[in-house]
Amino acid sequence: MSNALPGSSPTDRAAPSKTELTAADVLRYGGALLMVAALLGGAYLLQAMPGRGSAAALSLLIGAALGVAFERGRFCFFCIFRDFIEYRNAGPLSAILMALAVSGIGYAIVFGAFLPNPAGGRLAPDAHIGPVSPALVAAGLMFGLGMALSGACISGHLYRLGEGSGYAPPALIGALIGFGLGFRTWNWLYAMVIADAPVVWLPHWVGYGGSLLLHLTVLGILALMLLRFVPPLPPRPARQLDITYLREALFRDRWNPLVTGAMVGIISVVAYLRVEPLGVTAQLGSATRTVMNWAGWLPDRLNGLDSFAGCATQVVQTITDNGWLIGGLVLGAFSAALLAGRFQPALPRAWGSVTALLGGVLMGWGAMTALGCTVGTLLSGIAAFALSGWVFGAAVFVGVWLGITLRLHRWV
Amino acid sequence: MDRTLLRTAGAAVAGALVTLIIVAITFSTRPQPEATPTVAPTAPAAPVVAPSPREPRKFEDVVVSTEWLAQNLDNPKVRVIEVSVAPGVYERGHIPGAVNFVWTTDFVDTVSRNIIAPERFQELARAAGIDNDTTIVLYGDNNNWFAAWGAWVFRQYGAEDVRLLDGSRSKWEAENRELSTRAPTYPPGNFTVRQRSDLRVFLPDVLKVVRGEDNRVLVDIRSPDEFSGKIFAPEGFQELAVRAGHIPGAVNVPWKQALRDDGTFKSVEELRKLYADAGVDGSKPVITYCRIGERASHTWFVLSEILGYQAALYDGSWTEYGNSVGVPIANPAGTIWGVK
Repeated sequence: MSNALPGSSPTDRAAPSKTELTAADVLRYGGALLMVAALLGGAYLLQAMPGRGSAAALSLLIGAALGVAFERGRFCFFCIFRDFIEYRNAGPLSAILMALAVSGIGYAIVFGAFLPNPAGGRLAPDAHIGPVSPALVAAGLMFGLGMALSGACISGHLYRLGEGSGYAPPALIGALIGFGLGFRTWNWLYAMVIADAPVVWLPHWVGYGGSLLLHLTVLGILALMLLRFVPPLPPRPARQLDITYLREALFRDRWNPLVTGAMVGIISVVAYLRVEPLGVTAQLGSATRTVMNWAGWLPDRLNGLDSFAGCATQVVQTITDNGWLIGGLVLGAFSAALLAGRFQPALPRAWGSVTALLGGVLMGWGAMTALGCTVGTLLSGIAAFALSGWVFGAAVFVGVWLGITLRLHRWV
Repeated sequence: MDRTLLRTAGAAVAGALVTLIIVAITFSTRPQPEATPTVAPTAPAAPVVAPSPREPRKFEDVVVSTEWLAQNLDNPKVRVIEVSVAPGVYERGHIPGAVNFVWTTDFVDTVSRNIIAPERFQELARAAGIDNDTTIVLYGDNNNWFAAWGAWVFRQYGAEDVRLLDGSRSKWEAENRELSTRAPTYPPGNFTVRQRSDLRVFLPDVLKVVRGEDNRVLVDIRSPDEFSGKIFAPEGFQELAVRAGHIPGAVNVPWKQALRDDGTFKSVEELRKLYADAGVDGSKPVITYCRIGERASHTWFVLSEILGYQAALYDGSWTEYGNSVGVPIANPAGTIWGVK
């Protein structure tokens, strides 16, 4: 049943192979072109807004780029982890390693400009460097289980929304509920384990150069160790570099994991340099917090929460930069899916919706407690040389492994 | 054991060893950061100078226009300092050549509820390349709130020529003027702290006014609802007093009334009238306060620096006053412990 989900290799569906343009193609390409025009027009209108207009416009475009990269490269943390756990295929994992390597290099460069001396007590502004506590481990485990149960992580569901996935809406609604539960348990967890937890930032100890060396060495070792799990590559016939080839390579075929990873890494650095580190849950969390605050379901105060960087969630009445990023992500993925012929809206089955919703709840709780999800805490956190990113990443992986071992992912 | 596994394990061990060596070398060669003193020195080392009223300065000598600043960016006698509330604002683009002062750590003592100790302030100012005769121009986000607070700290520690950028960061940005992401470095300056005692007051000074032993006017710059005691603080603010209301005898002039819609200061005549209508005309010394003592520095700047009145800031403000035992408060709304 899980094979029905797009991107679940090895049964990755190949789009129909053809080289001639058909009427349907023209329709799809026209639709995608319209979407791109809408995105560019939207960004143009946004940047004219007084105040933070340019940041909002940039967020929309960064989100769109991310959506395209996620969709074309099948950059879905759950599918990538599952390919390794279930099918012993580490190929897609290299996308994550590549993204971390590239963004680590970029972050080191940006950090040097933002905070020239890392040895003092300060943290680089806005970077997702969080406290390392048992709560973070629990959050990672729950998030991983939620990924298995719902079939994707939060960013995965967002880009699948652009593919017309029927399970993305219940999963995302579940995530909102999970965020609410997270707010309810926050004060207790904060007093128990988070308040005294250390915030470990590598550059405090070994500077940016040392951090980057360590970062790349660890990633290199991981890549080396995973090499034996990469299946042999199929023979590739010589191809003519023409329009048809370019069209297929860009729009139809799944991108090489290394290319996708490098793209995500570059986008991540651009986002940190110009707006804020990548993250896809701040707007969702803020929406939940605003509604709960309005309904009076929130504790009077959320101790210490607003003092942490990360996908921190404030009560907001407007669409934040993060909201524009998410919007761009969904629309970017939609355009890419249209071009690839992967936009296939499907109604979810009842039981699958329930498990997607439940998985979403677990993910929402995990993302709130960990101050971010696989994008904010794992990707942006590790790129920022934060120990919290590695701890969360490891816990998420174990959670997914548990979920797959318990066959939770077969329920969707 | 198959050879591939053996090779991978070998590579892993070698990688780990290399990493260890790199970390060891980095650790041993890295200069140690200077230890931060955990307790701030209490006795001021710098001399405390007697209050010396100076001639009121012209508006243009206290508030600089974006135009003026753009022309003076290369002037070595001018040092521009950004004090923004939101983190990351300076880093993503600041006025070229501006130095970043972080209000949460640079302008305050991190241990006691106090402003930065004079010795540390002197170090900070010198590191920014400030001399005693440097023209210091401050600006920031949020209508210069914390830039004004920085100006108050600079003036207390004896800086003579301290100015604010009219319209703050937002006007500079709105005019599409140049921004830079490079943090500048300057040769150390020779700024020497001379502490002034007349720009800051403490709770006992305020109580003297309340009891009629001192003839000063109190200006409360908070919103009318906070002033009347209807609410404790605007929504979302966590630092509160257990009693709502205001200091008896205080007049209420919300800080933002000193600004036009675009964030620039009103004209000197308009400002003089604004405060005169509330009974603050400069004939008596003034004390400004707010909730935690930072926004009131904006009004302090208007009264003291622009209008040339004798004005001091009560930075303990309502969170200290409204929490103090045995001090009288005024509460027109009649709230006690949050209820009527």
